[in-house]
Amino acid sequence: MFGMEFYVDPSRCIGCQSCLKACEECETHRGVSMINFDFVDRADSIATAAYVCWHCDNPTCAQVCPADAIKKYEDGIVGSSLKPRCIACSNCVLACPFGIPKLVPEYEQMMKCDMCYDRTSVGKRPMCATVCPSQALSYVTPETIAATRREKPVNTFWFGEQKITTKVFMMAPAATDAISIDVADYIWEGEHELAPQAF
Amino acid sequence: MSWLRRPSEAPLWQDEFSVFTADERYVNRRQFTKFLTLTSFAMLAGNLWILARSIFYRAPKYAPLAVAALGEVPVGAVKLFAYPSPRDPCILVRPADDTYIAYSQKCTHLSCAVYYARAQNRLECPCHQGYFSITDGSVLQGPPQRPLPRVALETRDGKLFAVGMEGERT
Amino acid sequence: MAKTPLPVAELTSRYGPHLNYTPPGGWQDESRNAAEKLVKTHCCFCGQQCGIQLKVRENRVIGFEPWEDFPFNRGMLCPKGVKRYLQGNHPDRLLSPLLRTEHGFQPSTWDEALDFTARRLREIQDKYGKDAVAVYGGASLTTEKAYLMGKFARVGLGTRHIDYNGRLCMVSAGVAYKGVFGVDRSPNPWSDIAKAEVVMVIGGNIGECAPITTDYIWRARDHGARLIVADPRFTPIARNADLYLPVRPGTDLAMLMAMLHVIIRDGLADREFIAAHTTGFETTAASVAEWTPERAAEISGVAPEAIERAAHWIAESRRSMLMHARGLEHQSKGVENCEAVAAIALATGNIGREGAGCVMITGQGNGQGGREHGQKCDQLPGQRSLSDPAAREYVAGVWGIAPDELPAPGYSAVEIMNAIHRGEIKGLLSICFNPLVSLPDANFTREALERLEFFGVIDFFLSETAMHADVVLAGSLQEEEEGVTANVEARVIHIQKAVEPPANARRDSEIICDLARRLGRERYFPFREPREIFDELRLASRGGIADYYGITYERIDREKGVFWPCPSSDHPGTPRLFENGKFFHADGKARFMKLEWRDGGDPVDAEFPVYLTTGRVVSQYLSGTQTRRIGALVDQYPEPKLEIHPRLAAQFGIQTGDRVTITTRRASITLPAMVVRTIRPDTVFIPYHWPGGRSANLLTHRTLDPRSKIPEFKVSACRVARESA
Repeated sequence: MFGMEFYVDPSRCIGCQSCLKACEECETHRGVSMINFDFVDRADSIATAAYVCWHCDNPTCAQVCPADAIKKYEDGIVGSSLKPRCIACSNCVLACPFGIPKLVPEYEQMMKCDMCYDRTSVGKRPMCATVCPSQALSYVTPETIAATRREKPVNTFWFGEQKITTKVFMMAPAATDAISIDVADYIWEGEHELAPQAF
Repeated sequence: MSWLRRPSEAPLWQDEFSVFTADERYVNRRQFTKFLTLTSFAMLAGNLWILARSIFYRAPKYAPLAVAALGEVPVGAVKLFAYPSPRDPCILVRPADDTYIAYSQKCTHLSCAVYYARAQNRLECPCHQGYFSITDGSVLQGPPQRPLPRVALETRDGKLFAVGMEGERT
Repeated sequence: MAKTPLPVAELTSRYGPHLNYTPPGGWQDESRNAAEKLVKTHCCFCGQQCGIQLKVRENRVIGFEPWEDFPFNRGMLCPKGVKRYLQGNHPDRLLSPLLRTEHGFQPSTWDEALDFTARRLREIQDKYGKDAVAVYGGASLTTEKAYLMGKFARVGLGTRHIDYNGRLCMVSAGVAYKGVFGVDRSPNPWSDIAKAEVVMVIGGNIGECAPITTDYIWRARDHGARLIVADPRFTPIARNADLYLPVRPGTDLAMLMAMLHVIIRDGLADREFIAAHTTGFETTAASVAEWTPERAAEISGVAPEAIERAAHWIAESRRSMLMHARGLEHQSKGVENCEAVAAIALATGNIGREGAGCVMITGQGNGQGGREHGQKCDQLPGQRSLSDPAAREYVAGVWGIAPDELPAPGYSAVEIMNAIHRGEIKGLLSICFNPLVSLPDANFTREALERLEFFGVIDFFLSETAMHADVVLAGSLQEEEEGVTANVEARVIHIQKAVEPPANARRDSEIICDLARRLGRERYFPFREPREIFDELRLASRGGIADYYGITYERIDREKGVFWPCPSSDHPGTPRLFENGKFFHADGKARFMKLEWRDGGDPVDAEFPVYLTTGRVVSQYLSGTQTRRIGALVDQYPEPKLEIHPRLAAQFGIQTGDRVTITTRRASITLPAMVVRTIRPDTVFIPYHWPGGRSANLLTHRTLDPRSKIPEFKVSACRVARESA
């Protein structure tokens, strides 16, 4: 919709947390930030990473929700839980392979990033990607990414046997096709298909 | 019911409760209420139209039909004819020398053909003994609830013409 | 007498800092009612001066919206910019002037407060002489107000002592660039960074202190550029460094001289450029003749091969961009350090072209504009020298006074505090400055403040320094007064007024002009609106180095900023300086300087064997008067922590979370430890945004660079120990 997609490049993140501050300034979930931000291992490194919801093509959170409270809209955005339906059971919190949904006890509701739907549905850019000073979070057209970045946008992930394709792209080394975090995927086992990676 | 679904590997509950709004077949309260309200309005509009129609109703005009020549039918005898269309049987009765009267022959009860009972000077229906007055077709006895529709007659050039159905509202 | 009228704890509980978390009316308010208008303006914090739109309703700022069309930051903001609007409608906001009594501060009327201020200043000057009062200005003021403070001190009060908090910021780079290039300004627009092939960042924690610059550097790397980072700490910008130089605090000069040595030794100097456009190269070459990489490695801790590689990368590229910030400049050799960086740029011909140059990263919001138009102890508008007879004559003419009515140069900021301490200066009027937190050796500063006979402060919150005042004049936030600032690249930009000052607070410029009237100097301060001040400023700067004459508010709005010098209305402005090798000295040439090593002012020894360096965190700004009052920013990093390497921590049995006492020759403080590998094992780090018992500046020392008078914040000697239970 409107031709722009969301790209995440954790290697560019400088840990300023501007995304968290801007997220809670949005029009819908005022005062609550939906960004997942981590100091990866502060004792050993200044590396940080900020993630938004990946808006999976077949969202695990929605599939496991017993109250049918999570919907994926026609433009591909997976919404936060619907207030009248969510029963705060945390099924989605446990099921999401990326660990995105959070249970907010005061509201007895799961809340997660909805890519600033009030903004993206009318062609504006989400808050986090607009303010990010390092553009670790970026919301631009695929042509811009192809023209300006050396990394390749990838939206296929393997979690063990589960293949997840997402609307949000992760920037990975060029020639990467899918992101696999299981070492077994890289082992040569005769006919077993190797996870492709850049050699 | 399974033959109504599109072929799918997913279990029924997944199709029924789809997470993709594009595939959802459910309506929500707002949609349902809108539907009820719109249907209700449609019915109201329909009824108002019917009311208007009946207020502004004009009786249909039928072409006159020559039934019989004066004097053709003896006193106390009848002549059968069809008016206004071939599927509307009617009966012409000459109860007295200078009295001609005609009615639809279809009994208003269950449409049996009525006959003229000369001795009693009335129209009778053989099916359930429904009797009609010869003077105005009103029900004298029996199950019919409505009077027999009367054919309006006019004399023109010595002939009796049926020119309309009386009792149809103008 | 400027002891605080009540104990600090009591004043803090009354006047804050208290944390503001929610917009006016709460989080739900705005969801129901939209903003009345969006005001396109700029951030009130650092020198990047990011464009931002403020949402205004009913004279209150209720939120923000990114301003994607402003070319410098294109909608990007750091967390401080996102949350800055929460300074407005703050419970701690000073809504009327305050006068000191024995029972604390009492609200007063403007007449009372200003008459009192004027009277006391007059009394002190009558009794002790004109120079017995000093004025402190600041580099977060708009350029109009910075100009006004300079004029007020010299023409309103007739004192020679006017200086500003930028003395703690840009002066090392300023003196160096003035001497080398003839002008104190970043020579390249920021867009040149993305076009460089080699970027070196030395003493600059860009990810935390200038976050928006990160994108420029990442884009340079997207085009294949290589990044060199020199810092005692491994800061976020270094995560993508191709070469990291872990330079020991205070030893950058050794490393830089060795790089020059390598450039000369290996025949990498651009001899043609040097001959055509510079003078004095032999002086620098002689200075670095003995500075081999091995010698520099011993002093700085940077491997000789790394020094060689850095020198080669920079010299072998025709597009090298050298960037530096306070890490390099907050040293007693701050000026030399910057001269060395400039020398590398000149020696390799990397200056005055797209993607090639050296830049200082100005720290404060108007650090650039605030150091151009007379707010400095030796400066006149237009970046002119107060000692230059021609400059004095011109500016005096603009101001309508005789040239000899202009005072001689006076003391710089730290020197003013020293003079207060020894009783030479008796009265102080201060705006946009919180010296109790930002000057080194805070105990000394407190003693000095307590010796003042009169202390007046203009501020919008009661800062820790203002607690010592006799009168506090309730001033304006940045969004409450129109003006211009100049950002890091000397792009002059327009600060729009979004709301009126609340209750009985007044615009800063009104306060100063009113005070000048009560001092009988009305005819020199007739300004009713900032625009009038700006028009006089344009005239006063005309023909000077920082020539603003061709700049108007309307041009700024149309062109999204105008780079000075801009001598006339049809001049397009000057984004890049020194093109075609034309420098600002009379002979048009740049100068190489003599570089000489000397030891720092607080050397490590057996008793104080560890280096202490201070700095910042991304969620706080300067002395924290504003950002320590914003809840979300305080939550991000609530209290200062001591960064310490595991090797050093192991010597004292320190683990993360343990309380550690850090002692220098001045004082001791105790802070929780943060044991991390991302710092040199011989160095510890404390962010300085907090006051009182958590103030890093209790520990720092008052050694100044002899030429710039900047304190040596970045190098102190300390020892650490676990707090005795």
